[in-house]
Amino acid sequence: MSGSYRTINYSLRPAKTIERKMLCEVFHRLYPFGKIENYRYIGFGSIYFSDFQLFHRNLGIDNMLSIEKDAYAKECFEFNKPYKCITIDYRKSSEVLPELDMSSKSIVWLDYESKLDESILSDVCTVCAKAGSGSLLIVTFNVHTDRNPDEEQKKAYTEQTGMEYNVDDYALHEFRKRLGDAVPREVKGTDLRGKGVGKISRNILKSRIAEAFSARNGVLLTENKLVQRQIINFLYTDGAPMMTLGWIFYETSEENKLDACSFNELNFVRYEDTAYNIKVPCLTSKEMRHLNAQLPRGETVNLPGVPTDDIETYAELYRYFPAFVEAIYT
Amino acid sequence: MPEQSKPALDKNPKLINASPTKEFFIYMLTRDIPLTRAILDLIDNSVDGARRMRSNGNFNDLTIRVELDKNHFKIADNCGGIPVDIARNYAFRFGRPKDAPLTPGSVGQFGVGMKRTFFKLGRHFTVCSATMTSQFEMDIDVEQWKATDQAGKADDWHFEFKTVEEDLSDVPADKIGTRIEISELYESVAESFALDNFLTRLKNEMSLAHTLSIDKGLTITVNTIPLNNEPAKLFISDKLKPAFVEKIYQRELLDGKPGLPVTVKLFAGVAERILHEGGWYVFCNGRLVIRADQSAITIWGQAHDMRQYHPDFAYFRGYAYFDSDDATLLPWTTTKTGVDVDSPIYRSVQQEMIELSKPVLTFLSNLEKERAAVEKGDSTDKSLDQAIKSATAQRTETFQISTKFVAPQPNPIQAGPPMQKIQYTKPLSEVKKAMKRLNVHTYVAVGEKTFDYYMEYEGAE
Repeated sequence: MSGSYRTINYSLRPAKTIERKMLCEVFHRLYPFGKIENYRYIGFGSIYFSDFQLFHRNLGIDNMLSIEKDAYAKECFEFNKPYKCITIDYRKSSEVLPELDMSSKSIVWLDYESKLDESILSDVCTVCAKAGSGSLLIVTFNVHTDRNPDEEQKKAYTEQTGMEYNVDDYALHEFRKRLGDAVPREVKGTDLRGKGVGKISRNILKSRIAEAFSARNGVLLTENKLVQRQIINFLYTDGAPMMTLGWIFYETSEENKLDACSFNELNFVRYEDTAYNIKVPCLTSKEMRHLNAQLPRGETVNLPGVPTDDIETYAELYRYFPAFVEAIYT
Repeated sequence: MPEQSKPALDKNPKLINASPTKEFFIYMLTRDIPLTRAILDLIDNSVDGARRMRSNGNFNDLTIRVELDKNHFKIADNCGGIPVDIARNYAFRFGRPKDAPLTPGSVGQFGVGMKRTFFKLGRHFTVCSATMTSQFEMDIDVEQWKATDQAGKADDWHFEFKTVEEDLSDVPADKIGTRIEISELYESVAESFALDNFLTRLKNEMSLAHTLSIDKGLTITVNTIPLNNEPAKLFISDKLKPAFVEKIYQRELLDGKPGLPVTVKLFAGVAERILHEGGWYVFCNGRLVIRADQSAITIWGQAHDMRQYHPDFAYFRGYAYFDSDDATLLPWTTTKTGVDVDSPIYRSVQQEMIELSKPVLTFLSNLEKERAAVEKGDSTDKSLDQAIKSATAQRTETFQISTKFVAPQPNPIQAGPPMQKIQYTKPLSEVKKAMKRLNVHTYVAVGEKTFDYYMEYEGAE
């Protein structure tokens, strides 16, 4: 949350922008569980509050809480708060979440910059233990591999472990350092190559959530038992590779409400292990206008000089595609 | 009171019924043990089979396969099988009779493990086992077995073989072994088996508990995934060596009877700094019973006139290996989750553990002092820090000769004028401005340079 907001302008990250809009579309479909404007939104707004702006304007949610651990810049955050209906809590998420009453319907987006670690798992467990039926939990985290340590990090590894440096052992060592015993025994350093970090992180998160629900359900009547269903599984790279996972929580007796949401009509919804990749083709405004005129597509979409892959991707994403234009405010 | 006990009471009016009920046994036994540990008990039995088969300790080609999901639990091994005679007279009894034959160096020895696991997991179990000369099958419905209490046979604690064959000579080698299946799982057990996190924990405990057997070539798989192990390692270099002691305790000294001795090997030293892995590890006949203990059960705290475990000690590792052909002499508890702290052998070894740990803990305290002195600017000597950073991790088995703990002594802090550290906080923007003007790159340098500047202009007497 803190610090990075001055080096990265969040409202300019294209994949993130697309992700936000896609999530908004998912939230629109929550109505069978209750009026969306009555939901509460809990997120990490930073100083840009891009998610808060989008969800307030598009969904009419006005019960909004931004968790911000950087209490030093309080003035700055208060100044940038776009709407009066946003409350900011200047503490760590691990301090705020356990105090919140989540029995009413909530959308909680834990949008971390960092890699999956025990503190994230703990925050996720808090939400799983408290959030009421119809709530959504979304978790974003970094899935970059620890495979490019500099010389100093290599030396530190050898000094700490008494072992010779080896890239796979190092990657596993760092991964275990963050997640401890949550990492299954059979995970090897070689499993953390390429997409492995994302896959294993996701499994760890998934099993932790399953366990939290099992504990919560242990003392509930069958019809009140809560079910969690993954609906979001995004991968994207705006710099660092990021993974976003989202679950909806509902009572066993509300399966019909879930069906009524028809999430499956959205082509980016993923119930399964394979992620939806948000790829952002680089196109000029003129190219985009030209393509827009042919969309939604009937037969073929064409644009000379642009790779077909890019056109295909754009055709899939165009409704969520951001347009960055230099604007002069007077 | 069970019906069938009445006739005996009727005959002798002075008799008082104190016989146990099956319900009580099942209730009491199954509550005493966590689910993962109950499953470990079955693994222990298979490991004992491996020990009976291969007294040389080479477990290559021996496998224990565990399969579990929300409907059933299965374990199958090729570790020699249970002889019919043992099954008939000992293996299924509650408690181990005195005349039971000894498995040298066994890990199962209380005569509760296997039954306890059956009863804890489900309402139905089958056991099929074959040795080179015999084979048997059992198929038991627990509810039915318990119900014999009401059916007028209270004293009937027997199970029955479904099939049994003895004095065979042609049992094919690939049939030899034991297969156990438990079904009609209890709801809470089924729920746990369906959780990935439970499996992760189970595999973790299994591989820790049997790390030594896995190291000897035994393969254990859980849902077809083989368990790996991480053998105990300690840091070693020219300047740093772990302590190692080997002791033999004659049985006469332990319980006054003649018999086989207990061997104890103790290692104390340092390894990677990991807070939750620091502490003592205790093994009995190769089975881990205490992991990373940081409490008074081993050496820590006032009860032993020692310091409490503390993050500075996160480098510390102690390993205690108790081994005996007669497992009853070892200081473990029936659940194998701890040690019998009152047993004479443990108390004696504990004293050794404490004495062995002291030099290591002194070294670690000195290391912290050295680091603090360097940080404070009182010293530039980093010899202890260097000793720990330049060491390599080596497996404990490689240490064969008894040694004391070796580590560099702390150097006395160099004499010089007494120093004082100053610390203050100023607005970041101003500090950065000063940093730029002073042309330095660290905040420490900003502090020192500004002080020097003041002293240059105002410090003259």
